[in-house]
Amino acid sequence: MSAGGRERLKDRLAVVGVGYTPQGKVPGRTALSFHLEACVNAIADAGLRKEDIDGLLLYRHLEPLGEDLDVTGFLVAQHLGIRPAVLSQEAYCYRSWLTHALGLLETGVCRYVLVCYGDNGRSQRRSFVGELHCGAPADDGAAFGDFSVMAKYALCARRAMYEDGTGPHVWKRIAASQRRWACLNPRAAMYGKPLSEEDYLSAEYLVEPFRILDATMITDGGRAIVLTTAERAKELGRPYATVSGFGVSNTAMLPLWQTHTDRTSGAFPAGRDAFEMAGITRAEIGACEIYDCFTYTVEATLRDYGFFEPKDSAEWFVPERIGPGGSLPVNTSGGLLSESYCMGLTPVSEAVMQLTGRCGERQLGVLPGTKRPEFILCSDNGEVYQSHLALILKEGGR
Amino acid sequence: MMAEGEAKVLFAPKMTHDERPFWEGCRGHRLLFQRCARCGKVRWPASFVCPECSAFDYDWIESAGRGRIYSYVVFRRAFHPSLEGRLPYVVASVDLDEGVRLLTNIAGCDPTDLQCGQPVQVEFYDREDGVSLPFFRPVRQ
Repeated sequence: MSAGGRERLKDRLAVVGVGYTPQGKVPGRTALSFHLEACVNAIADAGLRKEDIDGLLLYRHLEPLGEDLDVTGFLVAQHLGIRPAVLSQEAYCYRSWLTHALGLLETGVCRYVLVCYGDNGRSQRRSFVGELHCGAPADDGAAFGDFSVMAKYALCARRAMYEDGTGPHVWKRIAASQRRWACLNPRAAMYGKPLSEEDYLSAEYLVEPFRILDATMITDGGRAIVLTTAERAKELGRPYATVSGFGVSNTAMLPLWQTHTDRTSGAFPAGRDAFEMAGITRAEIGACEIYDCFTYTVEATLRDYGFFEPKDSAEWFVPERIGPGGSLPVNTSGGLLSESYCMGLTPVSEAVMQLTGRCGERQLGVLPGTKRPEFILCSDNGEVYQSHLALILKEGGR
Repeated sequence: MMAEGEAKVLFAPKMTHDERPFWEGCRGHRLLFQRCARCGKVRWPASFVCPECSAFDYDWIESAGRGRIYSYVVFRRAFHPSLEGRLPYVVASVDLDEGVRLLTNIAGCDPTDLQCGQPVQVEFYDREDGVSLPFFRPVRQ
C-alpha cells in the first residue's frame, strides 16, 4: 500500500502557534469571545501579525446558545480585523482542516492558515442532543428513544465487550490515567480534582455500558493553531512542530451499520497511511494524543492503529504504560475527558506543546520516568467514529 | 404500566419518500425492505440507489421478523423529558435473517438478561399518533 504518493509532503507542513483561553466553566462569555481570544493568542505565539493570516478555518458550526450570535467565519474575521483570502467553516463533523490547510499552503493560495474552535457550551448548557435545541428529530432513532452520540458510541462499545472482552475494567484505567495527567496540567478543567478507578466505577450510568465518566466534558473555552510551510516556520525562529505523516478516511456510515469484526473504521487506513508517509513504526512513537470523546474511543483508535490485538486491551491499558511516568503516555494534557473539549485541537495542540518543550510539570523528558518524544501520534475524529484524521508530529528542525 | 420499553415518544420517524413504504408496512404489522432488482441485496435504510451495485430498480420484500441482537444499550437517563417515565429502556441494533440491520427497541425482558447474539422476534407497537414502531422480544432458541 502507498500513502497516496504524499511521502513528498513529509515534514513540509508546520504548526507554528498555539492559542489557549481559560477553559472549563468560564461563565459570562460568548462563544465568539473564545474564538477571538484563542486566535489572538495563537497569532502572537507564532510571532506573526494578524495581517499575516490569509486563511481562516473554523471547526464545525454549532448552533448558537442563549443570546449568542451565530459564529461564522465572517464574524470571527470581522472581529479580528483581518481580511483572509480564504474563509471556511465545517458545516458538520468532517475532519478536513488539515488537508484543507495543506492544499492552501502547498499551492501558495495562503501563507498562514489559522484553525480555530470555541464554545460556551458549559455555561450555556449545550447538550449535543440536537432534538432538545431545535425540536425536530435528526433521524428515525429519536422515535425509538435513541438520542445522543453517546448512545451511538455505546452500541459500538457493547459489541466490543462481546467480541473482544473489553469493558469498564479497561475504560476505568483510561479515565483515571487521563485525570492523573490533568492533575499535572494547570490549564485543565479537572486540575486539582483527582479521580480513582473506584470513583469511576461508582459513577452513574447514562447509557449503559457508559457511565458519566466515560464521556468528554462539555466545557467553555477555545483553541487555535497557526499552520504554515516548514520553510516559513524556520524563518519565524520559534519552536514549531512539523507533520511527518497523516492519513484521512471517512467511513461515512454510522457504526450502527458496520460490523465490528470487519475492522472497517476510518482509523485503519488513516493510521496506516500516516505511518507509511512518516516512514516510521509504532515503536518510534513517544506519546499518543488521541481524540477521546469517550474512553472507549481511545481504545478503539489505538486498537485500529494496531498497537494491540483487540482481545488484549486490558493488558495494554495499564498505568505503567499510559499514565504519568509510563512507557507510552496517552493524552498527556488530560484530553477531552479531563482537560477541555476543543475537538481535535485538544490533542493536536498538546502534541505541539510537548514537542516544543512547553508543558511544565507534565513535560515528557522532565517528568520522572519519561523521555522527550521524537514523534507524537495524534488523532482527530468526527461524528460517531465516521471521519478520521491521524497525524504524526515531530519537533521542527530536528 | 408503560408498554414495556417501546419508546412512545413525541418524535415520529422521518416519512421520506424512500422510507414511507417501510412505515406504512409497519402500520399493517409487516416489516418491508427494499431488495435490489439487479444484485438482490436487501437494504436498510431505504434508498434511491443500491449501495452495493448502484442499480436504481428494486422491489419490496416482507421480512419474517426474526433476527439476532447485534448490540444494545440501556438508557438509564432520559435525554428527552418525554422518556423520563420509561427508564430504563433498551435501544438495540438487530440483524434480521434477510440481511439488514435495524435500529429498534427490545422489550419483554429484564435488560440485565440481554446478550449480543440473542435471537429475537419482531412485534409492533401502535402509537396514538398512528405510527407503528417495530420492536423485538427475545425468543427461546
